[in-house]
Amino acid sequence: MVKMEYIKKEYERTRKTKGKWYLSSYHYKFNITPFIPFFDMLKEKKLMGLKCRGCNIVYFPPKLVCGRCLAKPDKWVPLRETGVIATYTATFDKDPTTGELTPAPIIAVRQDGSDSLYIAELSPDVKFDEVYAGMPVKVKWRDTTQGNLSDIEYYGRVDDPTEKMELYKQEEE
Amino acid sequence: MGKKKSSKPPATKPTAKRAAKPAAKEAATEKRTRPQGGQASKRERTMERVGIVGYYQVKPSMDLQMDRYEAAFTAVRGALDGAKLKRKDLTSVVSATNDFYDGRTISNCFTVEASGSYLKDETKVEMDGAYAVLYGMMRVLSGNHKLVAVWGGSMASCFPYEVTSLLSTDPTFERSTELLNVMTAGGFQMRSYMNRFGVSAEEIAKVAVKNHQNASRNELALAESQDESITLDKVLGSDPLSSPVTDLMYARPCDGMACILLAPEQQALKITDHPIWIAGVGYSQENYYLGERDLSKSRSMEDAAKMAFKAAGITDPKKEIDVAEIFEHFAHEELILSNAIGLSEPSSPSSIPINPSGGAISGNALFATGLVRLIECAKQINNEAKGHQIDGVHTAIASGQVGFCAQNNILFVLEGGEKQ
Amino acid sequence: MTGRQVAIAGAGFCEHASKRSDVNMAEMVHEAVENCLKNANCDISSIDAFVNGNMPGFEGVNLPELWMTDWMGARNKPLLRVTTGGTTGGSIGIAGYYNVTAGIPGIDTVLVVGFEHQSCGDTSVGLASVAYAETSIWTKLGLSMDKMTRIFGAGAAIGISSYQAINYMKRSGATEEDLARVVVQNRHNAAKNWYTHLKMPNLTIEEILETPFISYPFRYGMVTPASDGACAVIFTTEEKAKDFTDIPVYVNGVASVSNESAILGYSGSGACQLDPCEQIGAVESAKLAYSQAGISFPEKEIDYAEVYSPLPTQELQWLERLGLFEENTAHLRYRDGTTAPNGELPVNCSGGVNSTNSIGASGLERIAEAALQIMGKAGNQVPRTVHTAIGHSWGGVINLVTLMVMSDQQKRKWKGVA
Repeated sequence: MVKMEYIKKEYERTRKTKGKWYLSSYHYKFNITPFIPFFDMLKEKKLMGLKCRGCNIVYFPPKLVCGRCLAKPDKWVPLRETGVIATYTATFDKDPTTGELTPAPIIAVRQDGSDSLYIAELSPDVKFDEVYAGMPVKVKWRDTTQGNLSDIEYYGRVDDPTEKMELYKQEEE
Repeated sequence: MGKKKSSKPPATKPTAKRAAKPAAKEAATEKRTRPQGGQASKRERTMERVGIVGYYQVKPSMDLQMDRYEAAFTAVRGALDGAKLKRKDLTSVVSATNDFYDGRTISNCFTVEASGSYLKDETKVEMDGAYAVLYGMMRVLSGNHKLVAVWGGSMASCFPYEVTSLLSTDPTFERSTELLNVMTAGGFQMRSYMNRFGVSAEEIAKVAVKNHQNASRNELALAESQDESITLDKVLGSDPLSSPVTDLMYARPCDGMACILLAPEQQALKITDHPIWIAGVGYSQENYYLGERDLSKSRSMEDAAKMAFKAAGITDPKKEIDVAEIFEHFAHEELILSNAIGLSEPSSPSSIPINPSGGAISGNALFATGLVRLIECAKQINNEAKGHQIDGVHTAIASGQVGFCAQNNILFVLEGGEKQ
Repeated sequence: MTGRQVAIAGAGFCEHASKRSDVNMAEMVHEAVENCLKNANCDISSIDAFVNGNMPGFEGVNLPELWMTDWMGARNKPLLRVTTGGTTGGSIGIAGYYNVTAGIPGIDTVLVVGFEHQSCGDTSVGLASVAYAETSIWTKLGLSMDKMTRIFGAGAAIGISSYQAINYMKRSGATEEDLARVVVQNRHNAAKNWYTHLKMPNLTIEEILETPFISYPFRYGMVTPASDGACAVIFTTEEKAKDFTDIPVYVNGVASVSNESAILGYSGSGACQLDPCEQIGAVESAKLAYSQAGISFPEKEIDYAEVYSPLPTQELQWLERLGLFEENTAHLRYRDGTTAPNGELPVNCSGGVNSTNSIGASGLERIAEAALQIMGKAGNQVPRTVHTAIGHSWGGVINLVTLMVMSDQQKRKWKGVA
């Protein structure tokens, strides 16, 4: 690891007293009753988005309040299984013996028909170098569904006919 | 278990003047039929007026069956619907929430959509809701905004408030012993007041009795605080929290949210025929260490009251004010704070009704309580307080506080009503 | 009386470091307050009211302004506390402006204090707790714990910014070398400023590109530090400003428009920012603040900018969203030297957040540095005269933005909303 030189100054110590913020003792409240149809449909391997009648925006996963209208969206619409990678990143796993870093990609997917992003994992047979924003992907369901978010195991590759397409004619110099 | 019941949003145009409600227990509320306040228009004001054009309070509960987003949505939507305004009329939203009570940092970053602040000028005040109203008022007075929504509240059922109050103590000297928290501070304050002025615990317990009885007439009070048949012995005999404070003298924290809408003078007159005016405000903070303060008095409330009365042009509070809603964390704080405002003395209680809604004892959703005091005053002026209405209210004062033993106090002077 | 013109009359800082173990929080704030009063040539009795802010989740003290009343000099004076996470510094600056312009009787001069003592707490806990409540529900809804920590814990604030960076780099064509160039410029600037944390006058682009990745596309060498520090600024009326300084800095426009949170969020919020580098909140804030200040051509009328960029892609992105450079050309301006201290539009000559990051104070430091450049008293003063400058910050889950436009002339156009 390269050590970068920077100008540092030493400050003498003061006495310390310990403290703790008991985050894990909080009872966070969440209301999931409006979203029960969503989980029931996941069990049947179907994707549903929640649409706001005021502005026609579709949320996947469902949301309690539409910020644009300040109203509760209440129309369920079916969504297709394909989607598009809107953005992505990767964390790095370090091999303890060799010290080699292998990237593990994480993607944010926009399902076809919805207007919001969902964070998920990528199929293990797609390499990080092949990922690009705008790449089409498809849901891979888990074999036995349970009616919760783990039913979407990961997103796998779909053939992209437009990947190597020329977008516009290059002007001659 | 708390009931999930929210009252319908009040209309801001009052219909007919209501008949006086009979006061069952004389000790609780005093019935006054003619206004004692001086004519508001004759006062020498030094501050421009800001109008309150709408409000909504979610009924507090010991365990609200909504999450904080739904509660914020209910409050803001209720206030907008009650004033017949739309979200697109809003130009700014100010919230009052606390990171430690909610168990998350940046407690305002996920409430953007639920509180109607999407693509609006939004910010957060980390003090009692009354201070958020102060900041909202400043935004209105700047001329940059035509409608500001102020909301706030917290959920004490998620985490006990008394434990988070430990986190407000000085880490250097006080944190390690863990002896100072909100209850013991209240005990110090009550003992100091009793010793200094020779006041007995019974006289302080009378305040708790009055507030519980008033709460029973307030439909938006905590169900556990509504007690028509409470007696002095019941208050004094309840569980001791930190001697001499007992359980029924303490405003127990609960879940709740509230929202208020502010507009500048010109806009307020276009929105409603009878807006409630904020005529003056004052706020001040004392120093922190309990040992350096005189706990039997409230220096910060004295300074705040001076500043607020000067801004509103009030020269004689006992004659000019019709009702007071004081945020009292404990029953004795009501007496200390009303002495500091100038409404009463230790030997002679106030002749003006204080906390006809039951005060903080009727429901202390931290960070919404100050906001609710303002809403209650607004209801009194607008004749919408139903069961606990005082007649002929034209000038009211509302207070909020933050800190151990009311270290930081804020006081609002509200004016309005049909005759001005 | 109301809507009156506000001016900044002075600013002060304390020494920033990764661990200020010689002072506790209150004493550190006192250093900044003393420095500010010295800079404005006055004493504490001239201050009528206070505004205080930090990010309390880091140090584990709730409502610290109650404890440090005496160290700030706020005994028996009005005090307001505003905290909005990463934008706290910008929000307290804006709150200081509103305090003065409202015209509440008795409040003419306001001292705004922002601080952070991050070495007191655990920074990663503080950052993770932004989303801890939201993500704890995902485990109940089926995601396993280690899957969740990997997905949501991609470095917390750095993780969210890396989604943003990927999209920005694809849009604009900026390369890794451009990012490293931004970092090198910031750290060289910081070496000339007295209070900054990472002073690196000899840093090179190659050194940065040799460090390993922390969260693609950012390398360890590009990432902001976590500093302890405090900053204080005086806001006052235009009449009283002449008592404090020869060149009062007039505040002409303020805005803090919020957007839906990006990527994270469960029921209340989240996930509708399809392109996190689009930042409608910043674009709207810029429109609002510029219209208040009477600025029609920001790229021509603004002489100096302090933008909040803990990571280099954000510096490029904000300069475009705030209207200072054309879309997708910000990295070219770094290559040709426009943003250097002797260039046409100098940016972050104080070193920026990439060199000093005490979260509660850093937004305020952007405003303070821009104001000091106009006054001519900055640590790394640019050679040309600065007439109009902006101070900006962002925070939350990249959905909160604040902006303040300052100038040496009262150009405030907005005179009420009749």
